[in-house]
Amino acid sequence: MNRRAWERRLLHAAVVGLVLVILAPFLWLLQMSLKTQADIFAFPPKLVFVPTLEHYRTIWDTAFRRSFTNSAIVAVLSTALAMLLGVPGAYALSRARFRAAGSLTLWILVSRMAPPIAFTIPYFLAYRHLGLLDTRTGLVIVYLTFNLSLVVWLMRSFFDAAPRSLEEAAWIDGASPGQGFVRIVLPLSGPGLAATAILCFLYAWNDFFFALILTRTEAMTAPVAVVNFMNYEGWEWGKIAAGGTLVMLPVLVFSFVVRKFLVRGLTAGALRG
Amino acid sequence: MADLTRRTFLKGAALAGGLVVRPPAVLGQAKPFAGVTIRGSSFQHVFHTYLKEYLPEFEAKTGMTVDFAPQAFPVYNQRADLELSTQGSAWDFLNITFIYSGRWIGAGWFAPLDELVNDRNQTPREWDAADFVSGAQSSLVDARGATYGFAWEAGAMLMGAGRADLIEKAGLKLPETFDQLLKVCEATNGKDGVAPFVADKLHHWNWIPYLMGYGGRVFKDPPGNLTPTLDTPEAARAAEYYANLLVTYGPSGLLSYTDDQAMRAQLSGRANMRTQALGWLSPLAKHEESKVKSTVRYALMPGGPAGQFPGSNSHGFGIPVGAKNKRAAWAFISWAMSKETLRRITIEKGYTTVCRRSIIDDPAYRKSMTFNGQDVAELYLKVLSLGGKSGYMKYRTVPVFPQVGDKINKAIERIATKQQGARDAMKQAQVEAIEDLKKAGVKLDA
Repeated sequence: MNRRAWERRLLHAAVVGLVLVILAPFLWLLQMSLKTQADIFAFPPKLVFVPTLEHYRTIWDTAFRRSFTNSAIVAVLSTALAMLLGVPGAYALSRARFRAAGSLTLWILVSRMAPPIAFTIPYFLAYRHLGLLDTRTGLVIVYLTFNLSLVVWLMRSFFDAAPRSLEEAAWIDGASPGQGFVRIVLPLSGPGLAATAILCFLYAWNDFFFALILTRTEAMTAPVAVVNFMNYEGWEWGKIAAGGTLVMLPVLVFSFVVRKFLVRGLTAGALRG
Repeated sequence: MADLTRRTFLKGAALAGGLVVRPPAVLGQAKPFAGVTIRGSSFQHVFHTYLKEYLPEFEAKTGMTVDFAPQAFPVYNQRADLELSTQGSAWDFLNITFIYSGRWIGAGWFAPLDELVNDRNQTPREWDAADFVSGAQSSLVDARGATYGFAWEAGAMLMGAGRADLIEKAGLKLPETFDQLLKVCEATNGKDGVAPFVADKLHHWNWIPYLMGYGGRVFKDPPGNLTPTLDTPEAARAAEYYANLLVTYGPSGLLSYTDDQAMRAQLSGRANMRTQALGWLSPLAKHEESKVKSTVRYALMPGGPAGQFPGSNSHGFGIPVGAKNKRAAWAFISWAMSKETLRRITIEKGYTTVCRRSIIDDPAYRKSMTFNGQDVAELYLKVLSLGGKSGYMKYRTVPVFPQVGDKINKAIERIATKQQGARDAMKQAQVEAIEDLKKAGVKLDA
């Protein structure tokens, strides 16, 4: 075997090692979710055991199922709305030719300029008066507020990178500005759209803080529901692990499905200019 | 019978009828709260699981609907704190968590209950508020004596030894003093592969009885004077003693143990003694997974040169000032905390940490709390009485204790990991605590 082949093997081994290190917390969580309560606390820890789906079955029969559904609905809706409003907004700002365009873009970032806790009390009080506490609508509005700026900023850079000459060619061929946007610019920005949508989805899906403050029982999301297995008299480790795994699963699957778009989308900005 | 006229008969009948109906006037009416829905919350606890099983009976009797949604301990406290601080009306009854009781009651966020308790239309005389053990009620009463809640749970720190047989084999008995505790640890160290001592990482709860046992304090004179007193020779001595206990006699990895992990170590027989609240120790005798049911023994928290100071705390139901349905909320609380309901929960369900003296003295409860021939209820009652008498637990109900507690945790960790000596670590904790308290605007001694 020549030197190059050895180097390649070494590199592969290093990659596998790195992946294992990165995945270790997740794998630990996964194996814990598949153990019985007795096996979880076995000392020394058991690496070989008979797996059980008992914890998954148990939590699925509790309020966790509703929380999981809440998370899915809120994350999908807020992402869809943020994309629906933010993408045309970003396109308009990208193509706009007026003095305040720069400062306007900056002002859009205001919602991201302070830590979430700064907005907590105003949101809480406003929602109480509006009857939006413990509602999915309330959470969708919050996530929309924060994700909108992200969409505008990310998508604007993608639209800036898209060659205007293609749009202009479409206009010459009789397309309206709207048609140029939908038929020419959007397809060119596919990777950017995917990357932005994933980031928005992740923000809403993983949020704990706003869900903790603005919900009670009806609109409680999965991350908060997992914490509910940390009881005063003891933590239900098996359920926590099963809940944590279930919370991670959709994100993993979604990211895996669109991974090509995601990588291209996230690196697109680096190639610009 | 010659004196019995129609008029006197009717008067007597009316009076008798009145007596039957009058004491619980509210509950005496047919469905007095029909159509009313009250909302309440607490942190999740087995007590609430049991209580909810009896709830349909109460709802059928009163006509009200009780939406009771307990949540995880940190989640509940965060949400309740925000709701109370903004004087909201989302909840009609809430749990008053011990560590927040000073803040929540002191700030006037809970309604005093004395008027409702003393109103015979709302509360029958037999309900007997004085029946609650004073130690359990102390954190639910303000400085003027007004009552804001009634305790459904009390934590009383005891010593639980899962493998008391190892201690007996060594010719010793369960320790009563700190010196004896060290001797027992030394004599049983490593026997049968069992670590002599175990504790969780909440040193700001576990260590304080040792601090007080050596004559130290957390604050100078809480709640009036909150000047920290962590840099005293007594504090350094207690910290050194406790850190040594953890490092020398605890299982490996002990410094990162949660309270649950410490309990599991005892349940599996990997660790022997622990000083902790009864709620964490009674599973040794009752939990289905316990491997030490036949060998467990209990004792009072060992004492030091200054005496015995076992930790105690309690959690109780109260009514937020912003609640819309205070009368209905009180009807629920008075039912949930009544002798009858609590008796059923303790006797039928096996709940242990009840706070009514009449139930603790009940032979059926005593029987359920007798483990391996030992009357643990008596020990429990002693600890609650101790805490109530001298008020040494007041330090824990002041709003700024969490900040100071955090400094204590870190100091004990530094000593146990040999990063610092006890004196230096406690001096640093003192400086850090003062800095935090000043930032919080607390007036301290010069």
